[in-house]
Amino acid sequence: MEELNNTPEFQEAVTSEFKKDQSVDEFLSDPKLSDTNTGRRDFLKFMGFSLTAATLAACETPVVKSIPYVIKPEEITPGVANFYATTYYDGTDYGNLLVKTREGRPVHIKGNKAFGLGNGSLNSRINASIVTLYDTARLQNPKIGESEVSWSQLDSELSGKLSAASSIRIVSGTIISPSAKRAVAEFATKCGADKVKHVQYDAFSYSGITSANQQSFGKAVVPVYDFSKAKTIVSLDADFLGTWLTSNVYIPQYAERRRPEGSWMTKHFQVESRMSLTGSNADVRFPVKPSEIGKVAAALYGAVSGSGSASFEGVDVAAMAAQLKSNRGASLVVSGSNDPNVQLIVNAINQSLGNYGTTIDINRPLSLFQGNDAAMTALVAEMNQGAVGALIVMGCNPSYDWIDADSFNTGLAKVGASVSMNLYVDETGSRCNYKAPDHHFLESWNDQSPLEGRVDLVQPTINKLFNTRQAPESFLVWAGNTTPYYNYVRETHGSGFAAGLMNANTSWNEAVQHGTFAGVAMTASTAQPSDSKIVAAPAAALPDQIIPVSSGSMDVSSAINSVNSVSGGAWELVTYQKVTIGNGSHANNPFLQETPDPITKVTWDNYVTMAPSDVKEQKFNMHLGMQEPATVVTVTAGGKTVTLPVFPAPGQKRGTIGIAVGYGRGKGAENIGKAAYQTGGKGIHLVTDDEKPLPIGQNAFPFVTVKNGCTVQAVYDVQISKVDGDYYLATTQTQNTVMGRESVVKETVIAQYLKEKDKKKGEASFNKMPALVVHRDVNEDGKINAQDKVHVREMDLWKAHPVEGIGHRWGLTIDLNSCIGCGTCVTACHTENNVPVVGKDEVIRHRDMHWLRIDRYFSSDFPSVDETSEKKGLGAIAAYADMENASENPKAVHMPMMCQHCNHAPCETVCPVAATTHSNEGLNNMAYNRCIGTRYCANNCPYKVRRFNWFNYVSNPKFNVVNPAQDDSMRMVLNPDVTVRSRGVMEKCSMCQQRIQQGKNQAKKNGAKIQDGAFTTACAESCPTNAIVFGDLNDVGTENYQRSINIRSYHSLEEIGVQPNVFYMTKVRNIESSEA
Amino acid sequence: MKRLSASLHPKYLLALFLVFSVSLSSMANIFEGGNADNGKTLFKNNCASCHSIDGSIVAAPSLKGIDARWKEGDAMLVKWIQNPTGAIASGNAYIASLMAQYKGSFGVMTAQAVSEAEIKDIMAYVKAGEVAAAPGSAVVDNKCVPFTEEELNGESKSSGDTFIWFVIIGLILGIIAVSSANISKSLKNAIKENSGQELEEELSYGVIARRWMWKHKVFVSLIGLFVFCYIVVVGYKSAMDIGVYEKYQPEQPIAFSHAIHACQNEIDCQYCHSSASKSKHAGIPSVDVCMNCHKAIQKGAISGTTEIEKIYAAIGFDPATGTYIENYEQKPIEWVKVHNLPDHVYFPHESHVAIAGIDCRQCHGPVQRYTVGRIASIDEINAQDLADVPGLIKLTKQTLTMGWCIECHGAAKIDITSDKANEYYQEMHERYKQSDLGLDKLREILEDGSITVKEMGGWECGKCHY
Repeated sequence: MEELNNTPEFQEAVTSEFKKDQSVDEFLSDPKLSDTNTGRRDFLKFMGFSLTAATLAACETPVVKSIPYVIKPEEITPGVANFYATTYYDGTDYGNLLVKTREGRPVHIKGNKAFGLGNGSLNSRINASIVTLYDTARLQNPKIGESEVSWSQLDSELSGKLSAASSIRIVSGTIISPSAKRAVAEFATKCGADKVKHVQYDAFSYSGITSANQQSFGKAVVPVYDFSKAKTIVSLDADFLGTWLTSNVYIPQYAERRRPEGSWMTKHFQVESRMSLTGSNADVRFPVKPSEIGKVAAALYGAVSGSGSASFEGVDVAAMAAQLKSNRGASLVVSGSNDPNVQLIVNAINQSLGNYGTTIDINRPLSLFQGNDAAMTALVAEMNQGAVGALIVMGCNPSYDWIDADSFNTGLAKVGASVSMNLYVDETGSRCNYKAPDHHFLESWNDQSPLEGRVDLVQPTINKLFNTRQAPESFLVWAGNTTPYYNYVRETHGSGFAAGLMNANTSWNEAVQHGTFAGVAMTASTAQPSDSKIVAAPAAALPDQIIPVSSGSMDVSSAINSVNSVSGGAWELVTYQKVTIGNGSHANNPFLQETPDPITKVTWDNYVTMAPSDVKEQKFNMHLGMQEPATVVTVTAGGKTVTLPVFPAPGQKRGTIGIAVGYGRGKGAENIGKAAYQTGGKGIHLVTDDEKPLPIGQNAFPFVTVKNGCTVQAVYDVQISKVDGDYYLATTQTQNTVMGRESVVKETVIAQYLKEKDKKKGEASFNKMPALVVHRDVNEDGKINAQDKVHVREMDLWKAHPVEGIGHRWGLTIDLNSCIGCGTCVTACHTENNVPVVGKDEVIRHRDMHWLRIDRYFSSDFPSVDETSEKKGLGAIAAYADMENASENPKAVHMPMMCQHCNHAPCETVCPVAATTHSNEGLNNMAYNRCIGTRYCANNCPYKVRRFNWFNYVSNPKFNVVNPAQDDSMRMVLNPDVTVRSRGVMEKCSMCQQRIQQGKNQAKKNGAKIQDGAFTTACAESCPTNAIVFGDLNDVGTENYQRSINIRSYHSLEEIGVQPNVFYMTKVRNIESSEA
Repeated sequence: MKRLSASLHPKYLLALFLVFSVSLSSMANIFEGGNADNGKTLFKNNCASCHSIDGSIVAAPSLKGIDARWKEGDAMLVKWIQNPTGAIASGNAYIASLMAQYKGSFGVMTAQAVSEAEIKDIMAYVKAGEVAAAPGSAVVDNKCVPFTEEELNGESKSSGDTFIWFVIIGLILGIIAVSSANISKSLKNAIKENSGQELEEELSYGVIARRWMWKHKVFVSLIGLFVFCYIVVVGYKSAMDIGVYEKYQPEQPIAFSHAIHACQNEIDCQYCHSSASKSKHAGIPSVDVCMNCHKAIQKGAISGTTEIEKIYAAIGFDPATGTYIENYEQKPIEWVKVHNLPDHVYFPHESHVAIAGIDCRQCHGPVQRYTVGRIASIDEINAQDLADVPGLIKLTKQTLTMGWCIECHGAAKIDITSDKANEYYQEMHERYKQSDLGLDKLREILEDGSITVKEMGGWECGKCHY
């Protein structure tokens, strides 16, 4: 009938006989659809259909491109890593490294153990620095004002400006590169030497030391210290294991003498205001106010030299002096104060102890930290007078970290032409009209001379990623010298270098391979640097060839009078550098922001540390965590103000507060990297009232003042007032003490250890094997009673896993005496194992993903329930409440905690899908593709080391700011040998399974047994103190096995019988029982 | 015939020719009476890298028509081949003209160690041309002939076709059924209308179908049950095929033939896939590896110059002059990856190739009869001749599935006990012997007289997933 009537509907049906397919999207996006009455069931049908369609579509073979090289470089084999030796120096940290590259891209940094300074020991700031290489927030092109230009445009415009300028000033951190110095000198010569002045300053100044040494010895230098030779160390507020000078070199020296097995063990006294990383490792620690440090030094001088006052209240000066005096020539007094008077007294103490020439070398000093605060202050004044025609900023950020940044900034505005060579448009860069971005150090050729007689080489590990130019090369270009910087560096170390001789010089090639000229005798004929002072003496290893300085006493009476006249206030402030963030140049590094502070365990934040007793007295919040926010206070001093949360930090001197510098970066919304700003729960930056991204923490540099030409990092009179509002801090460990669980951390004192060290393992009083009472006559005394005990290992539900003695048994031993808690292993584990960065919001929820954490426990006045309830006459519950609190001046222990790879793993038995199983090599394996995310294993783990992927961190928008893996460029830092885990699976330490597999393959290929140390885990490899040792426990020849049978070795929580493959070694403190 | 000559040791061949050479040298014309078969081998070994016989230019002028061109006499030709510099020095005008014409592009020919008799054979071959020599060799052996599409993919296509026909026939029958039902209903209605009876109520097809189904409950439920079971079985089978990429052979940017390279030219797999013994990746050869041969071989047997040109375009090589182009912007070749494993699988080639010494064909099948890369199906692998692939373990699971991996790990044996064992395994063996527990374990795994990869831990998750 329709055909007959020829209706429009029919006509349409004829023309489109086969109905056009309508895609689900199209159908669902039809605006009329909402008008139609689509019921729930229909909706489910659509959903079902689209799901099926998507599933079927996903079955198509994905097309993956595989693009080989056109011309394969000979040294590259796809899938095989290459290591290149290079050198890290950012003006603060110095390290000799080996960079692991895969298919030409750097993925991991480890220490250059064979040739490096301090055996190539690194810290977390150095090994996490790899991520900034790939940071797209870096300047990608030179700029004039806001517009990107080519290098030739920049050069031509700038050279006009530079030649027109009446005076040119170069400001930088300490430059220790002979070639860079040459380049700057060449530039100065070109522009007219009287016109150009180079000013160096260090963000965190040590000019107190150089100025004191100028007065004492006529040399404005930082001496070389050798902590490995010091039987007694007294540190007056010097954080020499954390951030003080070349701390990463001091760490192995110090740790070498902290094991009780040696012929002697260093006794370490620490006098300080806040508990630093160094203080937490000290045997004896005295908290004092910052204003009192000088007085303690004076008293110590008195006690050591026998003249003047020799005591100070609250500090056992006599004990320190006695120890020092009995170890003349083998002791060391250091001070972190930047007051030249304090440093003069310290010099005098060391002089009278005869330490110069043994533990201190002033003759062949460090070249680092040559910053001159007075020169910088003068420069700022000059700039403000409008007397600077051009200012070139080279690798430093004075607009942020100069103590008087405000007047630097007003001065900068009066400078004719300002040039920034910084990697980012940071605080300083954004205020300069010319931007000439430098290379990242992993893209550079350079030489670095950290101390007289030693030259290390920087070699690129990747071609430059962006259109940048190395800063010294820019100076050369502006000086009219077109030599490529590589050739220029070669010329410094051998005259007559020509491009044709690129590979001819074997000693150069060897130096590049080793990363250093050390050990290569550089005779005058091969090395003729323009500045002959720089490379003169044949290079030698650090501690040798220490030449004593002339003896005789120094007159320090005026210095003593000066320090004794310092008056303190009710509240005193000490500014310090955090072990993770340093002076703030790493503020944009997500790995470091997420690495907890070794003492407070706070991530992603800055805060005011205050003694818990003060916090209680002020009625501020005490037990911070997910439920309890921190109280916010305003700290005012000298007209400067910051508003920060308060963190109760055990060990802090009452009446003092501590604030870390290095925070509050990017206040002007500068593009310094996404991770430098606070991120909220939705994965976007939190903003200030004027819509600028909110910096993390606040800048404490303005509190630093200048006195007598040196910066003073402490403020003796501050006001604190509570302000409204709460603030949540993200801590990874909220517990302060072990709550009497002595089987977690075992410790003893040296005398006890020496008395019992020849006993059989398990019988010493400090490391008793746990035993259980059984209903069987074990001791065969005819009675069944509490004396009938058997070791927990004999009581087992399961048949033993056959790993002991058979095949391999991989394991770790962790020496609690050596571990200083620096956290280098944490960042090394991060980059090796692609551990996701989760950001503050998730850390607050305790969803941090660290495979390896360092537990920090403080001692308590109430170590056990029985003792506490007896002492105070309380019930058990009240006793526990007291046990939670650390002592006023507690002792600390750092305990690296990772998967213990239990042979009787509780996690394995509860997994419903057998996703976590035991290998025949003693490893607890985790098969991500099998895991369904029930999290039973995490619940059943006694060590709480399993981490659950609550989100897909590599694609969930919540993490696009914090997680480097979400950035197309930054994800190149991921290790291609390790899976990037997805949402809904459990993960944990695999004991670097990828390295084990690779190491075994190598051994099989070589047809030889595995050599001890042929491969190791990322944590053990990065550990500067050798606290973590990896190896085959079934091979009696390995260091690991030997350590595992040591009388000190034990399993954490051994009594639960899970039989881990990770051993800990009892901490032995070098103290008398009375000091415990 | 071809096989015989190929299998003869060159030493004997040489002796043979030396014997003949005395008598042959007296013959008048070098272009007459040589042995073209011998000449082919000699040409391939000595001349083919530069000269062609079909008029094309490889790296020197073609020898086609040389018998017509050469007017300088036999002695000069022999001298020209055996001692080119001497021939040039002799001042021969024709040779001088050749030099003037070609020296710039190709340089001077190197001296060739061929006797006069051998030159005669070569010339016979050149004169006869490839066409005459070809038929003899083509028939004898197909071991290097690539599989045809049919051989590779079997009958699967036609079975797909029949299924479509079934569907079409079913649809037609359905339409016929519905329309005939309609017609009969209309007719019934017409009759009823005519006879004045009450009309049947107008029912939707759905209602009719439901009524019909209710009426034939047993039949419908049986059919339903059958359909359900069918869907479950088919669904299960296709679900098991998800992620299985057997027989995957994508088109590649260059029509590369493994048959020519690996089989005909007998190039070892690891000549190109050189990282197989060093790395977890076998690696795809970079263009400079191709150029090792293709700098000289500028023309292929199948596609002539078109495919080889693509290599030159990538690296920047000018075949006419035989030189690399300066400052050329090189374009990498975007191959399609064939053997894709999921990201959470870590398969190291090195431990299978360098340590276990497994033949590539154990996993990759008869690559020598493929053109571009392909995922061999398990049937293709199992169909290989045991004599060709020594130690071939025949497996049942589909290739590149985990079942296949662990099946092999359960079957492949490791020698840890004999004197010839790898020292690493000897050390492992020693450790077993050190404890009672170890000895028990050793006895347990040696019960069947051998130790498999599985028994050494090759079935554990963490060995491949991390």
